[in-house]
Amino acid sequence: MGFLSDSFRTACSMIASGDRDVYTAVWTSLRIAVGSVLLASLVGIPAGLRMGLRDFPGKRLAVIVLNSLMAVPTVALGLVLYGLLSRAGPLGGLGLLFTPTAILIGQSCLAAPIVANYTLAAIKGADRRILPTAMTLGAGPMQCILVLMREVRFGMMAAVIAGFGRVVSEVGVAMMLGGNIRWYTRTMTTAIALETSKGEFAYGLALGIILLAISFSVNVVFSFLQESPSR
Amino acid sequence: MSSTQYTLAGIAVSNGESFVLEIDVLEIAGGKLHLLMGPNGSGKSTLLRILAFLDRPAQGEMTFSGAPVAWNARNLAALRRKVTLLHQHPYLFSGSVLANVAFGARMRGISKEARRELASSLLRRVGLEGFEKRNARHLSGGEASRVSLARALACKPEVLLLNEPLAQADKQSVAALTSLIAALPAEGLTVVMSSHDDLLADRLGDSVIHLREGRVSAVDRPPRFIHNDQENRCDGLL
Repeated sequence: MGFLSDSFRTACSMIASGDRDVYTAVWTSLRIAVGSVLLASLVGIPAGLRMGLRDFPGKRLAVIVLNSLMAVPTVALGLVLYGLLSRAGPLGGLGLLFTPTAILIGQSCLAAPIVANYTLAAIKGADRRILPTAMTLGAGPMQCILVLMREVRFGMMAAVIAGFGRVVSEVGVAMMLGGNIRWYTRTMTTAIALETSKGEFAYGLALGIILLAISFSVNVVFSFLQESPSR
Repeated sequence: MSSTQYTLAGIAVSNGESFVLEIDVLEIAGGKLHLLMGPNGSGKSTLLRILAFLDRPAQGEMTFSGAPVAWNARNLAALRRKVTLLHQHPYLFSGSVLANVAFGARMRGISKEARRELASSLLRRVGLEGFEKRNARHLSGGEASRVSLARALACKPEVLLLNEPLAQADKQSVAALTSLIAALPAEGLTVVMSSHDDLLADRLGDSVIHLREGRVSAVDRPPRFIHNDQENRCDGLL
């Protein structure tokens, strides 16, 4: 019990004192996670909208593939991308392996199917009267889509938040493509894994507390927005 | 205005198994109030969606204001700006009543100030003055019906299609809506309104289109009392 309470006290003092290692890992994680979710949203939201609004040959198969991609193990994805980005791989010349950009690419691949799937679910669950109402009131095709997105905005925010939750908490892609380089590609999760295995439990705990605080904060803000009176 | 607003010839709509609407010939005059009567499943809503250019018929030709309807995206977008359909269960967008009423004007690029003025004047007209800032999702059925009518009128359409607009309304709203709808043809609007209520034909409508099992069974001009205050008499009782 003393071990846990001592570690917790040390972790709290590291957070309070602004420990450089802790906050560099937090900043790296947040920077990459936000970037990768934005990139994933650029792909995932239009893909989810298209699948929700249009019928096309092979749509059923596309939905199955999208569902399967949501469950891809992060290590497996990391392995594939490692093969592509490593010096001997087809994209090795870009020199991206063990850089924050490599993690960003990998985490975008991880988040895009989640964002697309949640967007698809939001569109499928939307009130069927939205589009005909917008159309008959004179909205053009693009305006109709924007109206629909506005009406299902909480579902779409859930899509982005789910994507963020997935990438901020994953280890496999960040470890394999980032290499866990101190002050460069070391994220919260890779630092927790490394430092805990080295016996630096308090350091891991400090990052764990911050990671949990970030996850809770994002969900609290989301819940608050959902219950706002303008809804 | 008494020119022909719509002509429909050989129109057929299928649900995949059978035809749910088959209209050999139908002319709808402009600037009049037409009642569309018929039991459930007679094809009233289907016909209204075609008149609103929301659904394309499987067969047939249609003209609007004398011009043949081309069912391509660009032409349909232009036509939809001239015709507004008020659905049986209207959907109000999330946000304020004002934003809902001003929606059509916003889609047409009208300035914010002009939209606000237009929406306020229409809310006054439907008896909902002071409702501008209310949340549209917190209205009663009758209030929602009136907001939807104001929203449709804010589009300044040539044709207003009403799918059972009185179905959700309370007694007070029915009276307000009925008198408002009755006054619209005098402003040059063509109104096509579906209803179950046979008695409505006694009070409203320049013509009544009867639908039965997807076919036009009759089109007639209803006999009714016309109250004329100036001459203090009732006539038109045939």
